[in-house]
Amino acid sequence: MARKITLYGIFAATALIFGYIESLFSLSFIAPGIKLGLANSLCLILIGFGDTKGAFCVNTVRILLSSLLFSSPFTLFFSLTAGIASTAACAGVSRLKGVSQVGMGVAGAAVHNTVQLCVAALIFGRSVWYYLPILLVSAVITGGAVGEISECIFKKIKTKVK
Amino acid sequence: MLKLSKKGDLIILITVLAAAVASCAVFFIPQKSGGTVVITQNDRIVYKNSVYVNKTVELGDNTVLIKDGKVKMQSAGCKNQICVRHKAISRKGESIICLPNKVIAEIR
Repeated sequence: MARKITLYGIFAATALIFGYIESLFSLSFIAPGIKLGLANSLCLILIGFGDTKGAFCVNTVRILLSSLLFSSPFTLFFSLTAGIASTAACAGVSRLKGVSQVGMGVAGAAVHNTVQLCVAALIFGRSVWYYLPILLVSAVITGGAVGEISECIFKKIKTKVK
Repeated sequence: MLKLSKKGDLIILITVLAAAVASCAVFFIPQKSGGTVVITQNDRIVYKNSVYVNKTVELGDNTVLIKDGKVKMQSAGCKNQICVRHKAISRKGESIICLPNKVIAEIR
């Protein structure tokens, strides 16, 4: 039990740092609110270990803390709904055969972006949907990259953790 | 580049890309049509009705034809005839203006 708390703590802290590094450069020229989502890599690793509950916990904590620390609480609502949905999507997709973390990353990123767009539509109205095509394409790219990174990390620590 | 070592990954990738292409359909939804035709002459409103009420509005020199949700300047006595040559309008915000005769037909 204590081991798990330590592990989750380390993952959450690392995810926070990743989020901070990300916030230093901005990809907003592609579409507003577009992120690399690097912090999701930790959650993907946890799902890779089969620990879905842990992934949810780490991601929720990470989103809560990072939006309070690095951006306004206003973005909390956006990020939290999108984050929970995308973690669920990653977990769901991981059950399928032949899916590695790259695939989970893409699926998670796609779901995250779409859910964020839905929340944005509630606030800004119908016109936000014009961003959907470019958001989905960037989800493939960013989600793939994040999945690739988490795959690398996963392979290295697989033997050492469980 | 991405190592697509597993088949499932490829399926997800293709699905999301297909969704991206499909969602481009949002660009083809036509802008809001319908609305109210407001014709003003010398800054006075002379006609105001739904664009779906067929009517021929005659204002001295200008004749505005409203038919099947479209508004057109059928004829005008002005020299440049720009208003007559203007394509029929049907969407909110569009307007046909006859400057010499100070007639504006717009859809609000």
